[in-house]
Amino acid sequence: MKASAYGKHIGCIALFLLCPFILTSYGVKLASEVLIMAIFVMSLGLIIGFAGLVSLGHAAFFGLGAYAVALLGNHWENTYLLLISALVISGLAAFLSGLLFIRSSGAYFLMITLAFGQMIYAIVYKLEDLTGGADGMAVVASPNLGAGPIDSRLGFFYLTAVAFLISYYFLRLLIASPFGKSVRGIKENESRMTALGYQTRTYKLAVYTISGMLAGVAGALYAYFNQYVSPDLLYWMFSGQALIMVIVGGVGTLVGPAIGAGFFVVLQNYISSFTDRWPLIMGLIFVLIVLFGKGGIMQIAALLWQRFRPQRNSKPAQQAMAKEGNGIESVKS
Amino acid sequence: MSLLKVEHLHKSFKGLHVLKDVSLAIGAGERHVIIGPNGAGKTTLFNCITGTLPIDAGTVTVNGQKISGLPAYTAVRVGMSRTFQKNNLFGSLTVEENVQLAVNACKPHRFHFLKPLARYTETVEETESLLKQWDLWERRSRVVNELSYGEQRLLEVLLALASKPKILLLDEPTSGMSPAETVQTTKLIQRMPRSITLLVIEHDMEVVFSIADRITVLHHGEVFASDTPGNISGDERIKEIYFGGGTLQHAEA
Ligand SMILES: Nc1ncnc2c1ncn2[C@@H]1O[C@H](COP(=O)(O)OP(=O)(O)OP(=O)(O)O)[C@@H](O)[C@H]1O
Ligand SMILES: [Mg+2]
Repeated sequence: MKASAYGKHIGCIALFLLCPFILTSYGVKLASEVLIMAIFVMSLGLIIGFAGLVSLGHAAFFGLGAYAVALLGNHWENTYLLLISALVISGLAAFLSGLLFIRSSGAYFLMITLAFGQMIYAIVYKLEDLTGGADGMAVVASPNLGAGPIDSRLGFFYLTAVAFLISYYFLRLLIASPFGKSVRGIKENESRMTALGYQTRTYKLAVYTISGMLAGVAGALYAYFNQYVSPDLLYWMFSGQALIMVIVGGVGTLVGPAIGAGFFVVLQNYISSFTDRWPLIMGLIFVLIVLFGKGGIMQIAALLWQRFRPQRNSKPAQQAMAKEGNGIESVKS
Repeated sequence: MSLLKVEHLHKSFKGLHVLKDVSLAIGAGERHVIIGPNGAGKTTLFNCITGTLPIDAGTVTVNGQKISGLPAYTAVRVGMSRTFQKNNLFGSLTVEENVQLAVNACKPHRFHFLKPLARYTETVEETESLLKQWDLWERRSRVVNELSYGEQRLLEVLLALASKPKILLLDEPTSGMSPAETVQTTKLIQRMPRSITLLVIEHDMEVVFSIADRITVLHHGEVFASDTPGNISGDERIKEIYFGGGTLQHAEA
């Protein structure tokens, strides 16, 4: 990276961290929720956009992370320990389930992840003595990174902001690395990757596990955020919403899913205050994007950018978006 | 001793017996060409040798090491790599990214995930020298789908070479190329070092006779003959089955 690129990144991070000063107290809380969802949806975007694994059971990992904090939080206080437990438990669940079904692809993968997610949901639902069943359970643990309990909205925003930045830069490195490029190659043409000597299943299993871990961390943060967890967090509807956020944000990009998450969380927040037809509205937006803007918000933004900045030639960016497609083709095949 | 040995190989697809007791022995440095009419089982033989398809019976050994029954990705580990009859590339990636992936496949850092691939100088340099050597350096930033068919065909070979194979299997490397491209590709194949043992499927007889040390004729899934180019071109029976008694030019070409 050139020095000017570093400058740009530092500028963006600074602006991002200054956000709370222009937001209301409620806005700061909403921003924290956006960031948590962004981590979750980015983790799903990683396997969909870069590995071609379209999952409809990703909420299971988010939910496991959330329940890990809720259940273990009854015994342990240490925030680091709880976050790492959530990461390990979700990662383990992703690894073990991945071992079983990573060889399937396309629509089969979608169905089998859906079934797996529903199975985890059913287990949590049925273990009433432990999890409170349908009623859910309160989260007693509160975040504390060593400098005293983080109990203000502002403090929690910074906690999630740091988690988001770490996740984002980690994924950025990952997709540019030999591992990430290979995963992308497998999405593009698995048979050639095998012929080149790649053990493709190991790569897919690894990326699926990493994605599950990240979803688990997002779930853990959500448990702290909401101070209450319920089986809804593992339900397939939630997986479906995350999938829609990935597609609407922009498949095959890193920021797209994060933006998709922000878009929907904020919109839902405003719309649900005067109508309860939120799922219908979300569905309509999804259909419109799939029909008219295949690359999602990222592509629309690139087109607008090109329109209003004609002096700078942003054609390559647009082409890059166009050829990504919406990634959902892999489900049809 | 033979570098690559195929013994009593059988392969059927749902009752269709495509390879019948095929045996081949290829010495180190040899340039062995396989010919045979369409549907003779040539591509299937490549798929069985490299492990792309499971075999029903028989063995494949490289340097005395049995590789049949092992998964396809292990072929490269024993120094064997292949190209495909139908271009099998990373269509929406750039030429450079394609080659980088191929070079990266055999590097110990292929699982690393915290440093950009572009910063592994060895991979970057090997990619550059391959692209320059094969006249694709100017095209490195182009998306593969935008290349001409002939260029894609060339890239197909380049990807297989990136792993520095001891045995290279080329499935109709010149098919669909213009005459000029065919000449260029033939030269590139001829100029490959003798440290690479070649097993080539080819229909174009001019190409066949300008690269072959030995020729095997496959007919209805059986080895009909395996001999020197001189003896093969003089064999009347082979002209009969393969060339339909006509000229030495393949009907399709
Ligand atoms: N995966 C497969 N499933 C079923 N049948 C197959 C399969 N692959 C090849 N075949 C059949 O096996 C026979 C041999 O095919 P193969 O592709 O090996 O021939 P070939 O000698 O390479 O021909 P060509 O010169 O046309 O490339 C053909 O009849 C083909 O239809
Ligand atoms: Mg063939």
